[in-house]
Amino acid sequence: MFAVLIDQFWSLTIAGVALGFIYVLISLGYTMVYGVLRMINFANSEIFMWGTFGTVITSRDIFNYTQTSEPATGGKLALVLVSSLLMSMLVAGLTAIFVELVAYRRLRMKGTNRLATLISAIGISIALQEVMRLLTDSRPVGSPRILEKIILTEVWGANIRLDTVITIIAAALIFFVLERFIKLSRMGKAIRAVSMNEDAAKLMGVNLNRVITTTFLVGGLATGAAGFFYITVFEYTKFNIGFTMGMAAFTAAVLGGIGNIRGAFYGGLSLGLLEVYASAVLGTQWKAVTVFIVLVLVLLFKPNGLFGEAVQTTRA
Amino acid sequence: MNKKIKGSLAVVTAAAVAFGLSSVPAASAAVKTYTIGYQGPLSGGEASTGIDEQNAVKYAIKLFEAKNKNIKIKLVSIDDQGDPAVAGTVAPGVASNKSVLGVVGPAYSGATIASLPYYKSVNMALISPSATRVSLTDPTSPDFGGPIFHRVVGKDDLQGPALAKYATAGVKDAKVFVFDDQSAYAVPLRGYVEGGLKKVAGATLVGGDSVPNTTTDFSPTIAKIKTSGATVVIYTGYYSQAAVFIKQLRDSGSKAVFAGGDGVFNQEFPKLAGAAAEGSKVTGVGGLAGISAKLEADFKKQMGVSSGVYSVESFDAANILLAGIKAGKTTRSSMLAYVKAYNGKSISGNTIKFNANGDISYGLFAGFTTKNGVLVNTGIVK
Repeated sequence: MFAVLIDQFWSLTIAGVALGFIYVLISLGYTMVYGVLRMINFANSEIFMWGTFGTVITSRDIFNYTQTSEPATGGKLALVLVSSLLMSMLVAGLTAIFVELVAYRRLRMKGTNRLATLISAIGISIALQEVMRLLTDSRPVGSPRILEKIILTEVWGANIRLDTVITIIAAALIFFVLERFIKLSRMGKAIRAVSMNEDAAKLMGVNLNRVITTTFLVGGLATGAAGFFYITVFEYTKFNIGFTMGMAAFTAAVLGGIGNIRGAFYGGLSLGLLEVYASAVLGTQWKAVTVFIVLVLVLLFKPNGLFGEAVQTTRA
Repeated sequence: MNKKIKGSLAVVTAAAVAFGLSSVPAASAAVKTYTIGYQGPLSGGEASTGIDEQNAVKYAIKLFEAKNKNIKIKLVSIDDQGDPAVAGTVAPGVASNKSVLGVVGPAYSGATIASLPYYKSVNMALISPSATRVSLTDPTSPDFGGPIFHRVVGKDDLQGPALAKYATAGVKDAKVFVFDDQSAYAVPLRGYVEGGLKKVAGATLVGGDSVPNTTTDFSPTIAKIKTSGATVVIYTGYYSQAAVFIKQLRDSGSKAVFAGGDGVFNQEFPKLAGAAAEGSKVTGVGGLAGISAKLEADFKKQMGVSSGVYSVESFDAANILLAGIKAGKTTRSSMLAYVKAYNGKSISGNTIKFNANGDISYGLFAGFTTKNGVLVNTGIVK
């Protein structure tokens, strides 16, 4: 039973960490919005899905790569990768702002019941998915291979591949930048202020609408970056991939403590590792079961997740 | 077009047909018009299968009409999107349309099960070109389609051994790893593949897995494959997941032979997987080109497109119903009796005669290998 785990431990760990970092970035989309609005952004899964198409469009339609082209090298490689990343972040960021405007802002201004916003978010997520389904004719979309998956070196019997290394380093970097932004920038402080006490923040002259839009944008950018890494590693997308990935990232956010940015980090990584280890030891059919049993156990003992709630826990 | 809009259109069409809008305009007194149906996915993600099948049915009708000038055939297109939920909404309309004498289809097993109650209540003869689930013709199963269900395609218990044989061909002392996508199609097929492996000399089953069809990260499965030392990997599931998997398997450095069943049999598979798909082996149905080049050329001339998946089976199925019409079986009950007693030749040369449960005695599974980004027919697996 454990033979696979022992034999392939490092391969699995690396794969789990790479997957974990993709979860971390998507979880940010959930956790940021929750931290500020105390509401789950159900459309985040579809924001992710749209983000993946940003990368596909850049490599396939702007740089004209096809399934049979040779992978890019040198400066061209960096150019295509960076523009794909930016495009995914842009697409997802704009989609997130759009979601906020359509599904949240008006209802919030009218002071509607929270459940109404929840439903409107689910509504827009269905709409986003259906639009993509129509655009792609319900078909899966393969992404051309831009980055050759070179095996850099072998460590303890595990192949260290270029795409995984790039994913881990770049995703960690993006996470770090966003975290610093929230911690140190003026806007970041405003976001935390609103998260702590909306009314007090307003009285201090914080522009609530701008803060909320920025929160959605930052969450969207992180989610879009996740879309880019997802395509780089898996080279495949479809209109319905958002649900599975979104569910996993949401689980990661709750596991780490939703509303807490550090929580998203540890939650995402633990989930990625947990998924691959559980699949290897028990069989992939037990993956979801194991993940949710662990989640329930964690919540039993730490109801606010591993890292508690937000940086600011006091809220009426 | 939107799946749902299409779905509702299909309902509307079926309803319109049901309420007699299809009343037959007789061109001349001598010419009689009869109606048959084709049911399968004509829109949505699986549409290419249904469109290919329906083209073969239309081709059969064309040939029939050319030979029988005094009979016109009206084909009702029944779009179930391959989805049991949709099938349950379109089948009642077709069942209540008295002019439909028999149906080629349904194409998919799940949609068949959902449609059966409606067709059973009106004795509608069904001849499916592609529903391969074993339980459909198993009288002890709740899915049993008798007495109305027939199929002109080999069941999965014939496909499984064919796939096992084809996958391991040319591999000495094959160590085989088999995994499925947890779908109602794939899990039983995996069982038949594993059963078939026992009869392949030198082959041993070294491991397996069961992976949800929403999976994109296959690293745990690949870890198992590597630990097991497998030289052949067989996947029972569908082409889009197979494409994601094969890329990851090749990227991991594994050179094991990859093979899949008819769920992977789709030209989209090599397109999605690119170079990683080269050399992959897939079992599927051969198409008219596998029978004769002349037939294929005529099909292309008449229909404007090449014949596609299950064209032989769809053509055969339509011909049985058409022969029934020619023999004067113009009620549902007489048509059903005719089909049950049918004894004729398939275009592939085999004899079509249904057993008591609606099965034929042969299965035609061709082996395909990916070469330069295309699945190439290597002939029937024997």
